[in-house]
Amino acid sequence: MNALRWIVFAVAAFAMNFPVIVTLITSFKSAKEIAMNPGLIIQAPTLANYARVLTDTSRFNIYAYLLNSTVAALIGSLLALLLTLPAAYAIVRTGTGRRHLLPLVANLRAVPLVVFAIPLYMMFQFVGLLDTRLGLGLILTIVNLPLSLMMMVNAISDMPTEIDEAARMDRAGAFVILRRIVRPVIRPAVVTAFIFGFITAWNEYLFGLMLTTRNAVPVTVGASFFFSASGGGVQWGVASAVMILGALPPAVLGMLIYRQLTGSMTAGAVKG
Amino acid sequence: MTTFRSLMAAGVAALLTTAALPGLASAEVTVLGWPGGSEETALRAAVEVYNALPNTADTDKVELLFFNRDGFYDKLQADLAAGSDAFDINLIATYSIGRYAPFMEPVDLGTDAEKVFGKPILETMQFEGKQYGVPTDLSLHFMYYRKDLIDALMADDAAKARYAEIAKKYLGKELAPKDPDQWNWDDWAATALYFTKAVNPDSPVRYGTVLQMKNLLFNMMVFQSLPRSYGADWTDASGKVTVDSKAYRTGLELYKKLYDAGATPKDSLSYEYPETNAAWTSGQIATALQWNAAAGELMNPDTAPAVAEDTAVVAPPSGPEGRKDHIHGLGLGLNKSSKHKEGAVRFLKWLASENAALAYAKAGGSPALAPDVVAKIAADRPDLVKLGEFAGAYGYVMNGATSAGALSVYEAQAKEFTAYWAGQKSLDEALAAATRTMTDLLKK
Amino acid sequence: MHSTPQQREGRLLLAPLVAFLIVFLSFPALVDIVYALSDVTFQTMRAPQIVGFRNFGVVLADPEFWAACWFSLRFGVLTAIIECGLGLALAIFLSPIVSRHGWTLALIMLPMMVAPSMVGLMYRLVLHEFAGPLPHYLTLWFGTSPAFLDANNAFWTLVVVEVLQWTPFAFLLFHVAYISIPAEIREAAAMDRATAWKILWRIELPMMKATIAIALGIRFIDGFRVFDNVFGLTGAGAGGSTMSLSIYIYQSFFKGGQIGQAVAASVLMFLASLVVLYGAAVLKAQLDRRRMAA
Repeated sequence: MNALRWIVFAVAAFAMNFPVIVTLITSFKSAKEIAMNPGLIIQAPTLANYARVLTDTSRFNIYAYLLNSTVAALIGSLLALLLTLPAAYAIVRTGTGRRHLLPLVANLRAVPLVVFAIPLYMMFQFVGLLDTRLGLGLILTIVNLPLSLMMMVNAISDMPTEIDEAARMDRAGAFVILRRIVRPVIRPAVVTAFIFGFITAWNEYLFGLMLTTRNAVPVTVGASFFFSASGGGVQWGVASAVMILGALPPAVLGMLIYRQLTGSMTAGAVKG
Repeated sequence: MTTFRSLMAAGVAALLTTAALPGLASAEVTVLGWPGGSEETALRAAVEVYNALPNTADTDKVELLFFNRDGFYDKLQADLAAGSDAFDINLIATYSIGRYAPFMEPVDLGTDAEKVFGKPILETMQFEGKQYGVPTDLSLHFMYYRKDLIDALMADDAAKARYAEIAKKYLGKELAPKDPDQWNWDDWAATALYFTKAVNPDSPVRYGTVLQMKNLLFNMMVFQSLPRSYGADWTDASGKVTVDSKAYRTGLELYKKLYDAGATPKDSLSYEYPETNAAWTSGQIATALQWNAAAGELMNPDTAPAVAEDTAVVAPPSGPEGRKDHIHGLGLGLNKSSKHKEGAVRFLKWLASENAALAYAKAGGSPALAPDVVAKIAADRPDLVKLGEFAGAYGYVMNGATSAGALSVYEAQAKEFTAYWAGQKSLDEALAAATRTMTDLLKK
Repeated sequence: MHSTPQQREGRLLLAPLVAFLIVFLSFPALVDIVYALSDVTFQTMRAPQIVGFRNFGVVLADPEFWAACWFSLRFGVLTAIIECGLGLALAIFLSPIVSRHGWTLALIMLPMMVAPSMVGLMYRLVLHEFAGPLPHYLTLWFGTSPAFLDANNAFWTLVVVEVLQWTPFAFLLFHVAYISIPAEIREAAAMDRATAWKILWRIELPMMKATIAIALGIRFIDGFRVFDNVFGLTGAGAGGSTMSLSIYIYQSFFKGGQIGQAVAASVLMFLASLVVLYGAAVLKAQLDRRRMAA
């Protein structure tokens, strides 16, 4: 049975990661080889694509882009959690906001946010948030609110009421309950929401394009520097190297905290 | 928990230290250029020359700014419409000049500019009679073809017979192979069919041509030289939209015929510039109508090892109205919201001078220059001579193609024409819809 | 106005979120409402001319709007069901090895780390007849390779692309929910000699019901509003056969410059999904009441 599980795992992981694998392989091919050899076996591996991305900083400052993305994505994911965790608790435990606020916020995810781009642009220009990491982070918070709120509501409604009722008996205030009791219990959900939020924020493209020009350009937008719609070819090798470097930070973050998810067996035990 | 908490702490610390960091203030002239290609390399070189000039004041020094390419025009649109002053000079193109003109200021380039570029080229940067920018690069199309394949075809009598047979069957005409420089569109189509495995199993390559049929406005520019050589235009002299014409029908049907016959890769409906290059470099394609900018990649043994040696270019084939080649210019113009207009105009005027244009060309740019100017650089850039020659002899701009709605017209055509090629709409439906939208867009 | 302490506390906890929404979205929402009712282009952005509900009429009469709605609906429903079905099956089947070997989870999560805009671009290479590995191997082994992106196949190719990238999302949610089921419950059931299937159907799945609903909901919404990867890969082609509602709105906004119509279309989209969400909430309330009564 376990052998079958490993086979299924291998097939699923390979299929789902196929574009990533191709990208990784392409990033080690020279332009010449990409033109000659579309296969998955590299004949003459080269680091030239990475060297170009990492050293050509006058044209393409990947370090600045990575920093911009990191800061903005952290603001976007953490602030969303800070706002939605207490709100979700209120919605589940007191019912306030369940009828209108919850569907309204959840609905934000369904709307193409491009229609907010122009008004937000004008607003940001007015208050000086245009082309800043903080500004981009705040927008990413909006992007993340719906998912974060839904996941927090889901997690708290799964939580037995006895746990916080006991604390309430001790006359603990709502914020104390949240910090001391709720958060540890729903930690896997918080971590999951944080990861999703960070990834969504990191991978956001449209607002990064519209609201930054120079100082806060995120890596998704910076990366497309090497692509093109017309008038200049895609340098597949360099583009692949950029994509790999751009996906590395969220991947590393995922690796760092996946233990939070597998280790949440204990959290489950607390809950039961 | 500890990992998570330390990550949170690190995150918060990072936010506090970097989120509020102010951007670099610059008192210089900022130029927003077209990124990633030869245009960028050339602009960098030209700016270096300008900044090093003894009479360039420190406050006039030019700094460059680049967005990415995908979404460039959408971003520029948002910036200009909202009155951004993040750049003083920005990129414009012949097809977008009408759309951006309301947010830009005309510039007086002086009388010498005409001597450098010639009147028709300066006109690619004009809207309603006013000069909005300095023309920097010219784009048009070449017919790329495989010399080795054509030579073999011309030397082989059995092949010629097969060619005639295919031409008769698919095009209903008696045709014989010809030198590509003598092609009309039927000759090209017959050649494309002959070199298609699905039509001619003996073909040495898989496809006779590669058509760019993705729903993308630039693909319409590649396509329209075909109907144009049959006399097509967007409107007649009175401003009536004439897209539903014999000429457009002939062109659209020829593309569909080639697609349906399998003369172009199966996924051509998702092909644009890079896909076309990738197909060409694989060595499985005999002909391709593609932008002049691709010549660098397709004729370079490093990037196209299999075919570079055998790749040659001519102007697009001819029709009843002769040979036609779509041209448009890229250029740089003045942002109306700029805060450094005087410095910006000084740079633009310099850019329109002969020295600047030559420096730009030497560094790899593709300016279209007046014959006596281009002669000074012919040794370094023989391709610029060909560019100027094709543009002068075959270049055209459709009626209305510099108007405010031009970009949207291309979009509408892309949508309707590709729907016809894909079999989603009939030719009549597609042309009727295109006529409606274009009438609406061009009436202003 | 009397309110219980609990309600007051609830409002206090909601205050930060509500304040944030008001600060950041009230102005854009107001501007958008004006735009939806106006004749407005990029040139007249600061001085829109109110024309009433004309934009809505134009959008509702546009067959392409409906075609885009149909595409988005089909795409959203199909991808949500396939992703959640696959994700659930994998999460449960692979649970023993995934909870023991954490790195396997990291590997499965990897596809989500790549920006969808880049995934679209990457598939342009992967599926390219001459430069892509997939057609290369198909041609090598079977002598031919299908047209992945022509008018007939583009939809299904995109479904597969979306499913491959976002099944991990469903997987992760289900994995967390599955391992959160207390061990004692399973042990108790096993003691009663219940078979593994029975435990799955009678105990585990019902306990994961909320997560399944939320995963289906999120994946549907994300599939419904799909933009980046479709736009990058087919750009609404072949011949308009892959125009999603988001692409329709984006194109009328930036390419067509018809801001009023684009905003009107998105208002319609907002209202439609609001109806669906409210409907779901009402349905759930009714089901709960019926269960209480039973």
